[in-house]
Amino acid sequence: MSTVTESRGPADGVTPDTTPPGGKGGRDVLREMDNPHRVRAVKDVVAKVVMWFAFALAMIPLVWILTTVVAKGVHMLGSATWWTGNQRNINSDDFGGGARHAIEGTLEMVGMTTLIAVPIGIMTAVYLVEYGRGGLARAISFMVDILSGIPSIVAGLFIYAVVVTTFGLRQSGFAASLALVLLMIPVIVRSTEEMLKLVPNELREASYALGVPKWVTVVKVVLRTAFSGIITGVLLGVARVMGETAPLLILAPYTKNFQRDLFNGNFPTLPMMINQDRGDLALPAAAERMWGAALTLILLVLLLNVIGRVVAHFNAVKK
Amino acid sequence: MSVSRISALAAIALSGALALSACASENNGAQPGAGSTGAGGTSAGAGDCFSGDLKAEGSSAQKNAIDEAIKAYQTACADATIDYQPTGSGAGIKQFIAKQVDFAGSDSSLKTKPKDGVIESDAAKQACGSEAWNLPMVTGPIAIAYNVKGVDKLVLNAEVAAKIFDGKITTWNDPAIAALNKGVTLPSTPIKVFFRSDESGTTENFTKYLKAAAPGAWSYETGKKWTGKGEGKEKSAGVATATKGQDGGITYVELSYAQQNQLPMAQIDTGAGPVELTAESAGKTVATAEQTGTGNDLALKIDYATKEAGAYPIVLVTYEIVCSKYADAETGKKVKAFLKSFASDETQKGLEAKGYAPLPAEVAAKVKTAVDAIS
Repeated sequence: MSTVTESRGPADGVTPDTTPPGGKGGRDVLREMDNPHRVRAVKDVVAKVVMWFAFALAMIPLVWILTTVVAKGVHMLGSATWWTGNQRNINSDDFGGGARHAIEGTLEMVGMTTLIAVPIGIMTAVYLVEYGRGGLARAISFMVDILSGIPSIVAGLFIYAVVVTTFGLRQSGFAASLALVLLMIPVIVRSTEEMLKLVPNELREASYALGVPKWVTVVKVVLRTAFSGIITGVLLGVARVMGETAPLLILAPYTKNFQRDLFNGNFPTLPMMINQDRGDLALPAAAERMWGAALTLILLVLLLNVIGRVVAHFNAVKK
Repeated sequence: MSVSRISALAAIALSGALALSACASENNGAQPGAGSTGAGGTSAGAGDCFSGDLKAEGSSAQKNAIDEAIKAYQTACADATIDYQPTGSGAGIKQFIAKQVDFAGSDSSLKTKPKDGVIESDAAKQACGSEAWNLPMVTGPIAIAYNVKGVDKLVLNAEVAAKIFDGKITTWNDPAIAALNKGVTLPSTPIKVFFRSDESGTTENFTKYLKAAAPGAWSYETGKKWTGKGEGKEKSAGVATATKGQDGGITYVELSYAQQNQLPMAQIDTGAGPVELTAESAGKTVATAEQTGTGNDLALKIDYATKEAGAYPIVLVTYEIVCSKYADAETGKKVKAFLKSFASDETQKGLEAKGYAPLPAEVAAKVKTAVDAIS
């Protein structure tokens, strides 16, 4: 909004308005109206109004979603068994049970995804920023761009084609994790890359000047400096995949039981729990379970974001 | 520096906790209800309990029934886990052929004629390495459920139903409907037909009924995909929910869903007077069905054009499609144990409250024999 230093005077063909001042607007506006640059002031007000309007417009869906989900789901979170029980032997028109199986399942599946995707993603970014030159680096960078544009259902189908069709294995939680890895890697590579680029070159040079080898410099200086940013990126990636449903529909059928084996059998997750109960939305029991699970999922993502902020805050490098 | 080092450690611990919680909890078998990992051991109650899990997928028409059966079995057998995905008969059979599930639920028996270049029964046989059997397990009456303000009782016959679902009759006060409903005030609300957009055995059985009982009025092919008019909704719950929310709506849906959603159901005039949909009237139709499978393959052919007094003609028999001999003997034992419980008189009787009709006695006896022969 700092247009003051730019082109002085009504030079850009705008005829100055000669209406005498007074009669409208607040005192501040009036004073500016006296100014030969009042057109600019009007533009400023218009821009402000448009901006606030756009902001309000953008907030509507967010507030709407949150109030709906909270209003319909919050009483489930207070029920005695929600955080401890599962849905075993609870049919779609039965009340009761909990979502512990799905919460644990979601965390486990995303945990496995993180475990695989984070090292690959960070190392790719380190390569791209610290080592990569020429054709290979450009090719990798290009591939990461393509990967980030892949729709989640395509990632799911790809893993289905590899794991189920080619290797003849059954659907499993792990297969879904692999599909999520494909979605998570580009997020982590891109965010880590940006963070590494922000590390001042002087730090690297100072390290080299002390005779420190390059790899030690990368590990102890560059990664250390960018740590908080990297963590933020990782958590963004986690948040990105946590509510992902399409690959789960294809790869990880839901179970209402506690199930911690990622490699065999069906696997409980919150998005699939929502999907299951969505089918019986007309039944009050299923509907409240669905809203409860939706709120739980939102809270889980929120919690991770908060943890990310806290971690980033306490690890910011002091200037 | 030391402070920031400590907080770095804390950070790593925090971020790692997410990943590690998974590994940690795997060793923690003492969680209540963690059934899938426990060692064998049969609990009191039902005869055969297995430990471990069983995967099934298919017809949403039998979801409420199999959910009940699973609940009954799992209650008796704490170490057993059975998952049923109600994704539709077509999807269930495909998953069974792709060896993704241990048995499939389907509203129609495996096709013995080629469809899209695949003969289902042959493909299933190949996947099993043995004959695949169709075992009728539940009778699911199909209701013609409607939602018209002020109309609590409605009589339809096959011809009028066919014309409604073909979009030829478009308002509720059409003379053809009025002729069957003397004394009922019908509004001029437009008729809104909802059909199943997914591949469904319910659609197949309903269109079979229309074709058999009103050949003149229903000219389409019968099949899992809807060929008539209307608006598509996903799964049984989808059409039931849509009808409930639309004045003037009508759909075909399993009795259990119509009951759950408290939708009124049309009586069917087969020529022997209007018949209300009850477990008993539906059972009468199934009892007259003819077995088309051989030996323990119990595929049935229903006479939809039945004119027997008191028989409700739109029924579907939902099958469990199983391998006669499983490549993995352990899986065979599990399937056998569960289906034995499913076919038992107690479980079957309990299904009545959920909107299903128990199998007629002679069919039930054959099913029990077949289940015993699974290995």
